[in-house]
Amino acid sequence: MLDEIFTLSFLTVFLAAAVRLAIPLMYGGLGELIAERAGILNIGMEGVMLSGAFFSFAGAWYFHSTAMGLLCGMLGGLVVSLVHGVLTIRLAKDQSVSGLALNMLMLGVTSFLFKLMSDGQTYQQVDTMPEIAFPVLSKIPVIGEAFFQRDLLSYLLYVLILASVLFFRFTNCGLNLIAVGEYPRAAESAGVPVHRYQWAAMVCNGVLGGIGGAYLVLVQLGVFTENMISGRGYIALAAVILGRYTPVGVFGSALLFGVANALQIRLQTIGVSISPYLLAMLPYVVTLLAMLGAAGKNSQPESMGKPYIRGVR
Amino acid sequence: MKKMLSGLLAGTMLFSLTACQSGGEDSGEKKDTLQVALCMSGPANDQGWNQSAYEGAKAACDKYGYELSYSENLGAADIAAAFADYAIAGYDVIIGHGFEFGDPALEVAETYPDVKFICTEASASAENVASYVMACEQTAYVEGIIAASMSESGKLGAIGPIQGDSLVKIINGYAEGAKSVSADIEVQTAWTNSYVDTQLAQEAANAMIESGVDVIKHCANACGNGAINAAVAANIWCQGDSYDQSSLAPENILDSALYNLDVVLDIALGTVADGTFKGDVYNLGMAEGAVEVLLSDNLPQEVVDKAQAAVDAIKSGELKIVPNFTVE
Repeated sequence: MLDEIFTLSFLTVFLAAAVRLAIPLMYGGLGELIAERAGILNIGMEGVMLSGAFFSFAGAWYFHSTAMGLLCGMLGGLVVSLVHGVLTIRLAKDQSVSGLALNMLMLGVTSFLFKLMSDGQTYQQVDTMPEIAFPVLSKIPVIGEAFFQRDLLSYLLYVLILASVLFFRFTNCGLNLIAVGEYPRAAESAGVPVHRYQWAAMVCNGVLGGIGGAYLVLVQLGVFTENMISGRGYIALAAVILGRYTPVGVFGSALLFGVANALQIRLQTIGVSISPYLLAMLPYVVTLLAMLGAAGKNSQPESMGKPYIRGVR
Repeated sequence: MKKMLSGLLAGTMLFSLTACQSGGEDSGEKKDTLQVALCMSGPANDQGWNQSAYEGAKAACDKYGYELSYSENLGAADIAAAFADYAIAGYDVIIGHGFEFGDPALEVAETYPDVKFICTEASASAENVASYVMACEQTAYVEGIIAASMSESGKLGAIGPIQGDSLVKIINGYAEGAKSVSADIEVQTAWTNSYVDTQLAQEAANAMIESGVDVIKHCANACGNGAINAAVAANIWCQGDSYDQSSLAPENILDSALYNLDVVLDIALGTVADGTFKGDVYNLGMAEGAVEVLLSDNLPQEVVDKAQAAVDAIKSGELKIVPNFTVE
């Protein structure tokens, strides 16, 4: 049985599956990272992604266009994040409560709208994006196929990860954003418009989370099913913590989740006699172990989750 | 602004509280006609599990001249209370739709011996509690025969959501049917541990396809769409579940297993009508029309004949499929 696992062709398809499973998490995680860096915790990422998934499906279905689907998915995610922004930035409400409420709200809203949309219809499907093999790079053994024989949205993600690394490290804007999340009062006194930065972060949060949900529909499945994000938004939150609040860290930890999930489903199909319940725990056990490994090193933004009200001590 | 918001919130909460009470005309007055109550775990218009029960119960009540009321969206904690409410209000028959209604039915039935309880897919039975189980293992067995006859690689894949009894027996029946065609056929199984994780079902199917599987069967509700999707992308055969899923994969579908709740409820309420109601667990299969396999046009005639022969044998009782609940 083990010799089935350790072959080059198995590793190749296995890693490709891991990346497929990880990309929505990477999008969600990156969006969440930017929000948390600006001091806003959005537990509603699950709802953002679900909204992105549904509206991308609806957009692609009604306009018969993948591009319109993507646009609608981004807008769908954006609206949810902006509602979170109104509650937590404008009204300075509790961020956890707002996020949780949005998750439940969006589950209801998307299921309801999907019922309306599919009423009396047979199964609805939309076209999915084609794979585009990256010249040269896709020929690298094992990792070439996994990372460079993908779709446009995956390549866009690589660019975004790189761009956000540069943004946080080398631009004034990036440093200001970090300052807003660490100590908004000091940032404000240095002339940084705190709320404007937080709003911008929420826009990124919504658009990226929306793409994360849309990825499932427009690239992978071509169908929407109720509650199809099934916890990926929460895993994205965990990926941010596990990734120590850095873009590359989010990329790596999301990939780790992908690997764990791809592994557990493959172990099942080759007949490893472990209960699927135990195997399904694998991704979460990995998280907890990795967090234990990072114990004592707190990299959370200092003011995350605390509403900032101008001029109040 | 804030006051408006809280007012709005309070309003919606009130609305949802009253909305989940009941949609029927349960005035509480005792009438001459027999009163039937249907309790469901989801909305009555969900285009699936609950809607088929509602429509089935409605049709049966019209047929036998009963009056139907119903409760929707009952959580596990509310079931016993809903049962007791209907029993106190003088209802004669209470239907609980789904496995989770079995235990509360037993609990409440003891207090109200005159009320008849009917549960679907449950394993509860008492003096006044009857459970009706659909013999999905029969359709799965026939599907296994079809899959094994169509497979060239000798490898089949079966994907389920959560390891509940009613799903494990499908996967086991499928493997049994496949092995009856050729003893050395390999059936790979995977469980997504979720009814909704469509992407994971797709990845499970991908993993199977990569190892040479060329027929995929799923019984994974909505997330099974992902499995069918993977089969279409790889251009291999697939088998649907619960509904006619041929429109999802017109070129690749072999068959769909159908579960006819209207037949089940008609039989169950029929026993009340003719006075043969008796507390027990009943297994309804192909012979009663409770389950069936809908064949697609993609099947060659010899496989259609083979499947039909198996269906006939099961219907006549010549071939008995024993539900197997053990997880391998």
